[in-house]
Amino acid sequence: MNPITPYRVRIRFAKLEGLRFIGHLDLQRLFERALNRTGLPLRYSQGFSPKIRLNLASALPLGFVSSAEVLDFWLNCPVELEEIKKSLQESLPKDIQIIDIEEIDNKRPSLQASLRSSVYRITIPISYAQEELIRGFNGLISKETIPFIRRKKTVDIKPMIESYQIEITPEASVLTLQMSSTAENNGRPDELLSFIKVDPADVIIERIQLIFEE
Amino acid sequence: MTIIDKKVLDKILYHVEKPGRYVGGEHNMVLKAWDSCSTRVALAFPDLYDLGQANLGLAILYEIINDRPDILAERVFSPWHDMEDAMRERKIPLFALESKRPIIDFDILGITLPYESIYTNVLNLLDLAGMPLHASERDESYPLVIAGGQACFNPEPMTDFIDAFVIGDGEDVIFEIIETYQLWKKQNLDKLSLLLALAKIAGVYVPSLYDVTYFEDGTIKSVDPKNEGVPKQVHKRIAPQLPPPIKKQIVPNIQIVHDRIAVEIMRGCTRGCRFCHAGIVNRPVRQRKVADVLKAIDSGVKATGYEELSLLSLSSSDHTEILDMSKAVYDQNKGRRLSVSLPSLRIESFSVDLMDELKDLKPGGGFTIAPEAATDRMRAIINKPLDDKILFETVETIFNHGWLNLKMYYMIGLPDERMEDLEAILETAQKVLQIGRRLRGNRVRVHVSIGTFIPKPHTPFQWAISEDPVSIQEKIDFLRDGMRQAKIKLSYNRPDSTLLEAWLSRGDRRLGKVIEKAWQLGAKFDAWDEGFIKEYWYAAFQECGVDPHFYTNRERELDETFPWDHISAGVFKDFLLEDYQMSLRGETRQDCRDGCYACGILDCFAQVRPSNEDVYWGCP
Repeated sequence: MNPITPYRVRIRFAKLEGLRFIGHLDLQRLFERALNRTGLPLRYSQGFSPKIRLNLASALPLGFVSSAEVLDFWLNCPVELEEIKKSLQESLPKDIQIIDIEEIDNKRPSLQASLRSSVYRITIPISYAQEELIRGFNGLISKETIPFIRRKKTVDIKPMIESYQIEITPEASVLTLQMSSTAENNGRPDELLSFIKVDPADVIIERIQLIFEE
Repeated sequence: MTIIDKKVLDKILYHVEKPGRYVGGEHNMVLKAWDSCSTRVALAFPDLYDLGQANLGLAILYEIINDRPDILAERVFSPWHDMEDAMRERKIPLFALESKRPIIDFDILGITLPYESIYTNVLNLLDLAGMPLHASERDESYPLVIAGGQACFNPEPMTDFIDAFVIGDGEDVIFEIIETYQLWKKQNLDKLSLLLALAKIAGVYVPSLYDVTYFEDGTIKSVDPKNEGVPKQVHKRIAPQLPPPIKKQIVPNIQIVHDRIAVEIMRGCTRGCRFCHAGIVNRPVRQRKVADVLKAIDSGVKATGYEELSLLSLSSSDHTEILDMSKAVYDQNKGRRLSVSLPSLRIESFSVDLMDELKDLKPGGGFTIAPEAATDRMRAIINKPLDDKILFETVETIFNHGWLNLKMYYMIGLPDERMEDLEAILETAQKVLQIGRRLRGNRVRVHVSIGTFIPKPHTPFQWAISEDPVSIQEKIDFLRDGMRQAKIKLSYNRPDSTLLEAWLSRGDRRLGKVIEKAWQLGAKFDAWDEGFIKEYWYAAFQECGVDPHFYTNRERELDETFPWDHISAGVFKDFLLEDYQMSLRGETRQDCRDGCYACGILDCFAQVRPSNEDVYWGCP
């Protein structure tokens, strides 16, 4: 048993292009090993096969990049936050960049439990005609329902879209979408792309914000 | 050519399964500036990243080459079917994980050949790289293609495609090859000059410099060098000391097999099991000192963050300091989250003690033993003696010390195998289960794993017949029914899938065209259970007019010249023959640490031994 009160640390980090094809479980393992290499006094889970206690807010789909991921992990005793940030950053691949770090009260709910929504920025190259994109997207959004088949089950994407905005620049069309990110309603921006005839492989989807319930 | 267009690559990666296989970027990867190095080596393992990245030989070469400032090494693996299709469709050539440069831009392509069922993947790799398959069609503008690994002790089936083979330990010879290449490049000479220079390096075999002639019955008459200065026989290289352990093992971003730290504690084995290829070709024994093992563990954990470690050797129990090692490993790591596995333990209670010394560092899961045969008669034939009394005592100790799962490895298809040998496997397994149930109750599980014996070159069984798949299947059926009734889990390979290994492992040069044909017909990933399609191979044999049975269903004459006789593993053919004849008479040969049987290896390393006095060699 661990008699001492654990020290809960939260980092916000960016997942850059070089790691966009590394999935959620692999990222979790990557953090376990990176944390292990730091030599920090890591807290382990209880039970038969203890694991490093860490908690990622939300699975980022394969292929996405992000500037807003959040991870909690626990230490057995307090350590200077700047020191943690420095040693963890040194131990991580360069395509994970720690943005900031803070101490979190142990009583605060888990990241997954308090996550409500995600904001995504989808950058579509100008090889896709811009007027057509706007027309297509406006047509889609005005529909009552947007049924999509996810793992053989039909789900309605429409209520998962909380807000949106299209910006047209000479370099690209940029679609910003806020979608719900709860266990029951997890919006996937790439699923919308098929309705406006955009191949998700042609675009860059970046998660730019995670919105938590306070 | 230049680096593969990232946009194009990313687009296809978005649609393939497990794209993490193709992106590199792992912790401890070495990416050197391309122009800072005069010689660039691509190291290929011709199977999926998920398998190949775990290969220790590849990791050693990667590190020692990259430790030199003027050379760089990058990695390449076989793309899975979906990735291959996408690459071919978009005309993306095979590229290296580090720089994303096409393989054809490298100076040397070094291919690992650990087993025979990987051969069609080699052809696919060369083709995806945009290189002619045949060594004879690649001029000096193409990378030099070399191969190394355990399968190269009979390189003949692959001689059409590979410029030069490394026989034996690659750690030292790789630099001699690179230096020879560098000198040749400066001189601006033709490819033949390079090949002739390479052939002068000890342990390097250049197949195009040899003529093979045959008798009418298809057996080999002779293999002769075509040029002066080319050796009649190529002797394997022996690294006098084990290379330093890997300092910075790559930590894959996706899950692979054997995803853990690997520390080689010993190379070679003195046991002399007659079926064992590794036991002969890796002679003599060289072991790592306990202090060095501890250093390797400590730096390995710090450099990787892994919580799992494996101490590798062919026979851990035979390390002369193994008990001290177990104790020291525990003392060093107690309090650390680390699971340490010690595979290949002998069947004796001492092995259980060794595991117990590791205390809470020992891995969860079962205990594994490898009796290989279940009757004294068969144990004498294969020279792996084991007293049933000791077997059952060991099993008792295993169960008494807390293990509930026991896995046992056996072989079938061994020379002169009889029904009684199979029945004995069944009876032994049943008895073991009974012991377990008596001691620990119904939670005990026994798992029997059956391997099909394939006669291998350079072993005493190189003269033996390889049993045909039909009768192997009958034997499997018999064991399956019996084990099912006894509630013992049985696993085995499809008998068909071992066919290929049987044809190729004792094959000759004439199989090159068969391999090529099979690949043209669609054969690849033959090592995968679902990958091997025997129809491609039968069609290829037929079209090439080669009889597959010639390689398997034939007992070789005692004086036959084998296709691999001009490759020496340091062991005399006479010694192997004598051992084969002893096997026919049911005679065993003890562990050779106690007395020398003059297998030949002593002479072979006599030159390097005096300068490496503090190394334990295993030979008296």
